[in-house]
Amino acid sequence: MKISHIIFLSFFVILLLFSITTFINYRQSELINSNAEEFSRSSTVLRSGNRFQRNFLNMVSGLRGYILTNETFFIQTYDSAIIENESILDEMADLVPDKSDQRILLDDIRELQKYWVTDLAMPLLDAKKNSGESDSSKVAFNKLYKEKIVEGLEKDVQRSLQQKFSDFSNYEYGLRDSRKEELAASVSNTRSISFSLTLISIIAGIMIALFIANYISGRIVKMVTMANAIAEGNYNVHLPDRGKSEMSQLARALNHMADLLHTNFTLLKRQRDELDQFAHIVSHDIKAPLRGIDNVVTWIEEDHSFDLPAKVKEYLDLIKGRVVRAENLLKGILDYARIGREVRDTELVDITELVTEITEDIPKRAGINFRVQQNMPIIATERVPLLQIFANLISNAVKYHDKVDGFVKIYYQSNGSHYEFFVEDNGPGIDKIYHEKIFMIFQTLEARDSFESTGVGLAIVKKILDDRNLLIKVQSAPGEGSVFSFAWPKKYQDAESD
Amino acid sequence: MQRVINILLVEDDRLDQMEVQRTLEKKGIVHRLKIALNGEEALAILDESRGNHNRPDLILVDLNMPKMNGFEFLEKVRSVDEYKDIKLFVLSTSDDKEDKMAAAKFGISGFITKPLKLESPPSLDAFNLMIDLMNMQIK
Repeated sequence: MKISHIIFLSFFVILLLFSITTFINYRQSELINSNAEEFSRSSTVLRSGNRFQRNFLNMVSGLRGYILTNETFFIQTYDSAIIENESILDEMADLVPDKSDQRILLDDIRELQKYWVTDLAMPLLDAKKNSGESDSSKVAFNKLYKEKIVEGLEKDVQRSLQQKFSDFSNYEYGLRDSRKEELAASVSNTRSISFSLTLISIIAGIMIALFIANYISGRIVKMVTMANAIAEGNYNVHLPDRGKSEMSQLARALNHMADLLHTNFTLLKRQRDELDQFAHIVSHDIKAPLRGIDNVVTWIEEDHSFDLPAKVKEYLDLIKGRVVRAENLLKGILDYARIGREVRDTELVDITELVTEITEDIPKRAGINFRVQQNMPIIATERVPLLQIFANLISNAVKYHDKVDGFVKIYYQSNGSHYEFFVEDNGPGIDKIYHEKIFMIFQTLEARDSFESTGVGLAIVKKILDDRNLLIKVQSAPGEGSVFSFAWPKKYQDAESD
Repeated sequence: MQRVINILLVEDDRLDQMEVQRTLEKKGIVHRLKIALNGEEALAILDESRGNHNRPDLILVDLNMPKMNGFEFLEKVRSVDEYKDIKLFVLSTSDDKEDKMAAAKFGISGFITKPLKLESPPSLDAFNLMIDLMNMQIK
């Protein structure tokens, strides 16, 4: 799975969880709203109920007042109460759902009131109105009054109506309480759901972040290890990774690179070995006939020294000289090819001692003084290449010296992690245009006849330093002498390049 | 009375043959020199001289030769009990450690590097060869 996909998916999951939380909270707020509406409706229902009961009492007292006092004022109160109660019942019918228990109670109330009005109140009122007209009608009223009121029928209806209302109100209060409980439960439910969802989102987020960080850093650490292995020359390393993520692709690219490096370095090493072998064989095979020529010339000289003309002797000397030169060139090729093939042994090297040894071994030339700085450092390093460098630089300084009073100075400076060694002379100096050329193999600046030189010395110095990624510098101008300087690490591990 | 030393030189290069001849003459060693151009010829000569007075006392063998090289020849010679007392010297332009180690396995008396500069200064093995020859002469 690709890392970008994992990241997208993780964000999607977290967003989804948060959306669900938001949605649940939204639903909760809707529920609270509808509950508030419900509460106000319930309040209206209860208020209307109270009004109805108060009106009904007004109706009752209006009826009784008129019957007792015969004042029409009571009839007015009675009438307006009836009208108001009709509209109150209509309002309540709108607020109470159809076919509910409350609706049945309401319908009963309506029926009871209707019964109270039509069967009790109306006949009494009519009878009362007509009672002044004749005695018979007075008797009729009294009979009716006795029948409806005194015997308690009216009272029963009233009580029943009040009972119904009490039931209706209680039912409404009960409804309110149960809604309140539901709401409280829903609020706490929502709270715990939102809390757990938020918690899950946070944990999921942290876990995904940890997983991705771990996934990426784990692979990066592996790749760093691999890159270090490659840097140390071990190209035969592989990261087993068959995934489809970008890191796996990178791992496979690194594997491919390591393979290519391995192939190329193996090829390069083989070619270098072949070249060395070639140099070895060629120089050996050419040496044999050269030696043959030298032998024959020696035999001629030994056996016929008395009967040879002077001119022929001179020619024979020339042949021998050229043979020596060819042998030196072959030796130079071999020496050059051998650099870097020796086993690298580290030992304590006293530079002052090493340089003194070289200056004592070099054939003396009149008028040349060595000035070797005393107390130069003692380094744990390879002795042979360092000896080769110093020997070549010093012998060059001596070989090409042209002054009657000449010197060759060897000294050093400490320069951070490296030492800088100097070989200075006051010889003929080298023109700037040759400063690069002198380090090429077989390159000489003097005619070979005047100086027996193979042109390998500085090339060897350069190759030794190149192999270790170190630099050689030359400061020189014609007539001003030369200063060759090179860096050498204080701690030897620093220089190991291959 | 000086003894004549029988020497078998196994060497394909004419100049090298001449060099050996000259060196022996110059050192005044009374000898009888037989020359084989390769290992096969040398084995044939050895076979022929079995039990007679021509049997070599000493063999000088080059390493790099056509047909049968020096190592193969050394192996063949050393596999025959009868030739155990014959002294063997390798004569080669090679200065390789590997070649010297390989030759040493056959119990050689010396590994002489060409050219045979006996005058100044002689290589230790070439010097030993001469001492050996002188000693044989005196016996």
